[in-house]
Amino acid sequence: MHLDPFALHRPTSVDETVRLAGSLAGRFDYLAGGTDLLPNYKMHLNLRPNLIALEDVGELRGHGAGRFGAMERLAELDDDPAIRAEYPVLADAVGEVATPLVRASGTVGGNLLVETRCFFFNQSYFWRESLGFCLKADGDRCHVVPQKEKCYATFSGDLAPALMALDAEVEVAGPAGRSRRPLEALYDAAGDGIRRVHLAPGELLVAVHVPAASRGLHGRYKKLRVRPSYDFPELGVAVAGRWDGDRVASLRLAVGGVEPHPRRFDALTEPLVGSALSDDRLRALADEVMRQLRPVHNTFLLPDYRKRMIGVYVRRAVDEARRGSAS
Amino acid sequence: MNATAPPPSARLLGGRIPYVEGPLKVTGRAEYTDDIQRPGMLVGRVLRAPWPHARLVALDVSRARALPGVYAVLTGEKYPTPFGVLPITHDETAIAVGKSRYIGDIIAAVAAQDERTAEAALALIRAEVEPLPEYSDPRMGVQPVAEPIHARGLNGSNIQKEVLQHFGDVDAAFAGAAHTARVRGTFAGVTHAFTEPLVTIAESTPDGRLTVWSATQVPHYLHRALAEVLGIPMHRIRVVKPEVGGGFGGKSDPLPHEIVCAALAIETGRPVKVLFDREDVFYTNHGRHPTQNDVKIALDRDGNIVAYDIEALIDGGAWSSFGTVTTYYNGVLSMGPYRVPNFRYKGRRVYTTKPPSGAMRAHGGTNLRYSIELALDILAEETGVDPFDLRLRNALPPNSVTVNQFRITSTSFRECLEAVRAKSGWAEKFRRLPYGRGIGLGCGFYISGSNSPIHFTPKMPQSTVHLKVDMDGGIAVHSMQADIGQGSNTLLAAIVAEVVGVDLERVHVQRVDSDVSPIDLGSYSSRVTFMMGNAAKAAAESLLVPLLEAAAQLLGTTPDRVAVGHERYYRRDAPEQGVTFLEALHGAMETRGALTASGNYRSPSMGGSFKGARAGTAPAYSFAAYVAELAVDVETGEYKVEKIWAAFDCGRALNRLAVEGQIQGSIHMGLGQVMGESMNYRGARLFNPSLLEYKIPMPQQMPDVEILLVGKDDPEGPFGAKEAGEGPLIATLPAVGNALYDAIGVRFTELPITPDRVLRGLDLRAKEGRPWKGH
Repeated sequence: MHLDPFALHRPTSVDETVRLAGSLAGRFDYLAGGTDLLPNYKMHLNLRPNLIALEDVGELRGHGAGRFGAMERLAELDDDPAIRAEYPVLADAVGEVATPLVRASGTVGGNLLVETRCFFFNQSYFWRESLGFCLKADGDRCHVVPQKEKCYATFSGDLAPALMALDAEVEVAGPAGRSRRPLEALYDAAGDGIRRVHLAPGELLVAVHVPAASRGLHGRYKKLRVRPSYDFPELGVAVAGRWDGDRVASLRLAVGGVEPHPRRFDALTEPLVGSALSDDRLRALADEVMRQLRPVHNTFLLPDYRKRMIGVYVRRAVDEARRGSAS
Repeated sequence: MNATAPPPSARLLGGRIPYVEGPLKVTGRAEYTDDIQRPGMLVGRVLRAPWPHARLVALDVSRARALPGVYAVLTGEKYPTPFGVLPITHDETAIAVGKSRYIGDIIAAVAAQDERTAEAALALIRAEVEPLPEYSDPRMGVQPVAEPIHARGLNGSNIQKEVLQHFGDVDAAFAGAAHTARVRGTFAGVTHAFTEPLVTIAESTPDGRLTVWSATQVPHYLHRALAEVLGIPMHRIRVVKPEVGGGFGGKSDPLPHEIVCAALAIETGRPVKVLFDREDVFYTNHGRHPTQNDVKIALDRDGNIVAYDIEALIDGGAWSSFGTVTTYYNGVLSMGPYRVPNFRYKGRRVYTTKPPSGAMRAHGGTNLRYSIELALDILAEETGVDPFDLRLRNALPPNSVTVNQFRITSTSFRECLEAVRAKSGWAEKFRRLPYGRGIGLGCGFYISGSNSPIHFTPKMPQSTVHLKVDMDGGIAVHSMQADIGQGSNTLLAAIVAEVVGVDLERVHVQRVDSDVSPIDLGSYSSRVTFMMGNAAKAAAESLLVPLLEAAAQLLGTTPDRVAVGHERYYRRDAPEQGVTFLEALHGAMETRGALTASGNYRSPSMGGSFKGARAGTAPAYSFAAYVAELAVDVETGEYKVEKIWAAFDCGRALNRLAVEGQIQGSIHMGLGQVMGESMNYRGARLFNPSLLEYKIPMPQQMPDVEILLVGKDDPEGPFGAKEAGEGPLIATLPAVGNALYDAIGVRFTELPITPDRVLRGLDLRAKEGRPWKGH
């Protein structure tokens, strides 16, 4: 397998990047960490003739005071003890991404926008050709749920659920200037494994902002996978909250690794605020999240097992966050 | 031969000897095949069949040939001579002829100026094919089929090999048995996943010679296959083995790409390199066979094993490879470490339209052993006997003969059991740990070098070693033994240094090169330490003769009165009177110049006279007893093997560092097969041809390993040594399986035991209402 040639662009400012992105609309990919994109390119998955490398855009770097630059390397967060102290759920999630070597290249923005994954998609050109291509690359049908409309590829980033649990916003630059939106609005909940994010042509993810109110929230990110490193999530559950004695003062929950986009479950967690979270209510919460999510057979572990684990992982993540709060 | 004590000056053997090539490997200086550059070298690439099974009606390669930068395009007809590692089952061709047999089968090859041109050329090849039936499950092939995968299938079926053996009277033994147990095991295929991918360079030169550099475990069999298929006499072919980054059996067959590479070099007159990527390596496979077995064991009233009745259905994939051996091994490797007076075996290996399976570390011994050791655990529980006591009662004694006429000489199996029982705290833990925690025993038995060479013509020793020393005092060692990372170069150097009495740094093991290396059959069947070790020892002893003669002359005595010291030979009766190694060497060289010496090893004749009697015979056997302790998360099915106590009998460990490395690596590989590794097929299609989705355990999953080397000297092994490269894998699997039962009361008979299967097992136990440890 080899990389086909592409034109590499290296802008040095956000404005230059936005202009470049506008002029290359539809014919480029951003190169953030490259740890997922370049293997995909070697497999000839949706090649574009241009790559816009973002590493020289200074404004995209750095983290502090609740701001996380889109090009901040995950290793920078891994190495910062303040992250563990202030945002334990994020520290958990960063530490669970792939391996230290991948985290040395991988970035915050790259992880938030990481390509969705599927056993039928993340394969070589030879493999895909031998079966017949799929909706997501070069073909017109889905092999997971046989039909021709919807792609079931799975969102496989670890940071998004954690940042959703922290109520984060994303800062986007575009032809019309800067704007902010809730992180969950970055993802297209009505879309699928192909139409997965709301970013207009020429728009660029600049940074993630975590509100001050989320600093110090107790939290936990729990990731299901076959091996304790390398593997993408087969399920990722993020919880952040505050407890006032037994009483829930705030609680947010988000889940990734199951459907084409990560999901936040405010409608289930908000009613729990203000009262004690009994074992029964916690179990009911976990069961309801499990009921609402539908894994399909497109990863290593079987979908019925992944579904069952949603219940266990939600319950444990909340419980461990709560115990972290008590300690 | 008699028991051989190490010479009194033993300085190296028995200690911890870092690999002689270690400094080169860790600094990136060691030369692997891919590091070799030849002038004007072309890139060779293969075209793989995208169909499970298809008749090749026509291949149009004209557009590929016409592409600028393409030097050659080959299809199967040019070199149709079938080959294979076993002379009796030549059913592979370098490139498919007439039909293709699995997704990934090679149907054409090109040589081009660079990678992109080569791949562009492959994309221009047009194939007209007629689809043939897919046979992805061996059960589909045991009866006559519409389109046998190979014409040589048994009676129009896809059965490649059937073995029927019966010793004693199994039916009578079962009829009179006090207790019986049965385990039906299902085992996914696993693959070697060596670090260095497959790679070959070939160059055909105007002097009429062909040179092939290849990442191979068995240069000699490659040499033979190249000669046969290419129609070139062996003396015009030179096979070179650079450093090899792991093999585990996956580089022991002569492989199609090696022949393709040589053919492209001949076709173009230019050097050609074929370097496979990881997906290519998965399609080449030759890994452990997907297997279903059915093991029945009978005990008498006193707890003695009276019979084994074993069946195995083995999924061979598209070629024979080592499959005939595999089919025997899946039965006969049950003949240790216990006494078994009655034994029946029916084994069938069936072709399927999948990547070929072959030999993988502990070939033929693992899946069978898993089912046997689970059955013994069941019997121990049923009869209320501790699993250790059951095994101790049935242990094969030293110097015995099995019912199928394996000759057992040394065995420290009893010592293995006793050591691991004491160290693991078994008595306090077994069935006494809290629910979810468990401890389990598993044992192992493996050949220390296949007694019978694969080729019988011409008759020759299994290993030969040549030594040469000139006035500089460096000893050059030539042998075709293949160091693939397991440390055989180091052992070879250490044996020579030990016997001659010199520093290790004087001994230079030469790269394997068929022009100058005398034949050793290579790295498979755990044969190298035993066979090459004996040959090296004999060669070094022969080299020592003129050195001791010269020393005696210089010291005014006779050679039998001269002792070997460290870089020194001295009078036994006056140890202060001695000469240096160089003084002796230079004295010895006066009349003859550089000294040379040769040594060889040939295993003794053994085995019965029935069909298949040679399978599994070996000049010695290794033995193992492992205990695993683990913790299960009963809500998620995830588990962590926390500790393995590994008692192993490799006779005398000559390089403890290498032996410990082999045991740790074996445990890691064994855990992979238990916990998550599988060739994940849906039908004939491999879904995980990558190291991301093929789940080799991560370092965090490795347990703490405590190694107990309790072997006593083997009477025929070099300095008392036996194998330690494959046997250490086997016991890992059942130790974990039995520990899971101790933890949660579920017998897992399907591998790998992934968390979802653990939960399914727990569900089933709950449904059956069988409480375990109060849960």
